[in-house]
Amino acid sequence: MTDTIELAGIRKCYGDFVAVDDLSLRVPAGGIYGLLGPNGAGKSTTLRMLMDIIAPDRGRILLFGRAREAADQDRIGYLPEERGLYQKMKVADHLLFLAELHGLGRSAARPRIAEWLERVGLADRAGARVEELSKGMQQKIQLVGTVLHEPEILVLDEPFAGLDPINQGLFKELLSEARDRGRTILFSTHVMEQAEKLCDRICLISGGRPVLDGELATIKRELQGNTFRLAADGDLDRLADVEGVESVVFGPEAGARTGARLILDPGATGADVLRRLVEFLDVREFASEEPDLETIFIKAVRDAS
Amino acid sequence: MRPDKVFVIARREYAIRIRSKAFWLSTVALPVLLLVLMIVPTLLASRAGSSKRLVVVDETGRLGASIVQALADADDGAAQVASFEVFLEPPAADPAGQRADLDRRILAGEIDAWLRIAESDLEEGRIEYHSESVASFLSQTILEQRLTETVRRDRLSRLGIAPDLADGLIAAISLRTVKVTAEGSREEAEGAGFFLAYALFFLLYLVLMIYGQQVMNGVLEEKTSRIVEVIVSTTRPFDLMMGKLCGICAIALTQLSIWLGTVAVLTLPAIVASVAWLPAEVDVPRLEPRLIAHFLVLFLIGFFVYSTFYAAIGAAFNNVQEAQQFAGYAVVLLIAPMLFFFLVIDDPDSTLSVVTSLVPPFTPLIMLLRLAVKAPPAWQVALGYAAATGFAVFMVWLAGRIYRVGILIYGKKPTLKELWRWLRYA
Repeated sequence: MTDTIELAGIRKCYGDFVAVDDLSLRVPAGGIYGLLGPNGAGKSTTLRMLMDIIAPDRGRILLFGRAREAADQDRIGYLPEERGLYQKMKVADHLLFLAELHGLGRSAARPRIAEWLERVGLADRAGARVEELSKGMQQKIQLVGTVLHEPEILVLDEPFAGLDPINQGLFKELLSEARDRGRTILFSTHVMEQAEKLCDRICLISGGRPVLDGELATIKRELQGNTFRLAADGDLDRLADVEGVESVVFGPEAGARTGARLILDPGATGADVLRRLVEFLDVREFASEEPDLETIFIKAVRDAS
Repeated sequence: MRPDKVFVIARREYAIRIRSKAFWLSTVALPVLLLVLMIVPTLLASRAGSSKRLVVVDETGRLGASIVQALADADDGAAQVASFEVFLEPPAADPAGQRADLDRRILAGEIDAWLRIAESDLEEGRIEYHSESVASFLSQTILEQRLTETVRRDRLSRLGIAPDLADGLIAAISLRTVKVTAEGSREEAEGAGFFLAYALFFLLYLVLMIYGQQVMNGVLEEKTSRIVEVIVSTTRPFDLMMGKLCGICAIALTQLSIWLGTVAVLTLPAIVASVAWLPAEVDVPRLEPRLIAHFLVLFLIGFFVYSTFYAAIGAAFNNVQEAQQFAGYAVVLLIAPMLFFFLVIDDPDSTLSVVTSLVPPFTPLIMLLRLAVKAPPAWQVALGYAAATGFAVFMVWLAGRIYRVGILIYGKKPTLKELWRWLRYA
């Protein structure tokens, strides 16, 4: 089966700065694909190239297994990172405009707009001007504008940024629903927990290059049994030097370190490593666990550099 | 280009404007403003000259009284422009002392001016006039006219000609103006043709500038609100620009149609005939359908010459302040035809008139002026239209190239060198 989206060896420079460097990825039909990476990794640039807003310096982009065609614009819904709506327009008029822009007829669009406004809890604001809405509400309107024409592909750049937990929940629900209806969703985020809960496949990029790519479940399985949670007192800085430890990932908590996640060398066993740890640490806890995306990400970035 | 998307964008531009109060307000307010701009200076000029205090020192002893009477004659239309409060003072034994005293009274603000009528001066056709300002063109012209009439009457009576005969001899002549066109000749009030040309010229200038600014502000709004990202993901930047230009052009045409339609109806012969204050045989300049058609076509061409410029500026810069500085260049090109206004109106077939009307950026305004005053040769109209249309197409292309790069670049203000690079960027 052909991949819905295929990027092959794309590269984009701004002056001397290489924003995206030799990036290839394949997004199969259906499912949620996460494009992950820290700020400035090149996620937005990649999505903008995919949307044909900017042209890559090199490489090619295929949609539905062939070169992009003008009509494809109506088969994609795009939520850019920088949100924007016409502030003076009425909500329903604005949505109608966005629907028409995506090739949807007026009569087909109107009932869908009513339905979607109901869905996101803004039915009573249909006649309000955009500028009268809060930022979060505007973001919901913009998401609705992205999905109204029922695109086969959704490209969402940091869709959760700036949303409160309730609306984040709503957005996740909407994305899951779209997946269940067979849509292909490609979204970018720098917040790993969001991706972890939603994605079927991920691509981690760092410094404009992909560092890890594949099915999330497979990636996790490969590291399963290799990742341990450690709680201990003592000189934790020495952990990285311990034989059999491939990577150490410290939690985000500030102050004296009392714990870490360890990823072991493929050949090492937990028992061996624990024996070495107790020699210089007061170990309170040492348990095998499924690695979270953040740990995977930090390890991947480190391995790449 | 995707015409369907251009249409959707154009329709949005049109819909938001036709529904806005600002559009209807300006539809009413702009003609009022235009009239005020043209009428108020005339009114002010007439008020400015009101009642000058003028001392007349008559050494001849026979002209003083008739001068007072001529200047006090309020029935004359000119009295509205400048009227005089005249004080007759006898000549003093010491002319130098009286001169100094009168000058002092001018400086003290007691009087505005004084005249000395001396036999020796009259022989040379002169009268001495003192005032703080000798640049009050209007009142001096009227004063000269009155003095000339009085002196002429005096000369004639001294030749033994009776006063009623003298009146007939010095009566002024005015032109009975008849406009000759291919459709036939008809009488038109003197200056009316000028007024029409003037009004159409300024109307075109104003709408080109106002709607150009609207294009610029619209583009800036899309750029600063970042909605442009969503739009260019569904259509090409060029389509967005064209949609915007077409929508705003349509709204401008709507407004112009309202104005010109109203004027055309108001100047229909039947309606003009019912207006009492014009002599029955004199027509006001008629806004003929042919001239309206030319006006609208010239507006279309002018719109695509100037608004594309504004669109490119709006796309290249990040905020109104930055853009406004650059927009000045467009305004200079728009204002330049004003320099030729009087020259073209005076002689619409002079080499200067023909050449300027064929320079594409000036064609809309200057050709309109020529068309309003006197029908130019058909080949010149055709050539002007063709060249200006070609130039408009070039401007659309040029602006499109700057637009598609600029609209997606935020942050620093581009330099001219960068703009040049955007143009050449494939």
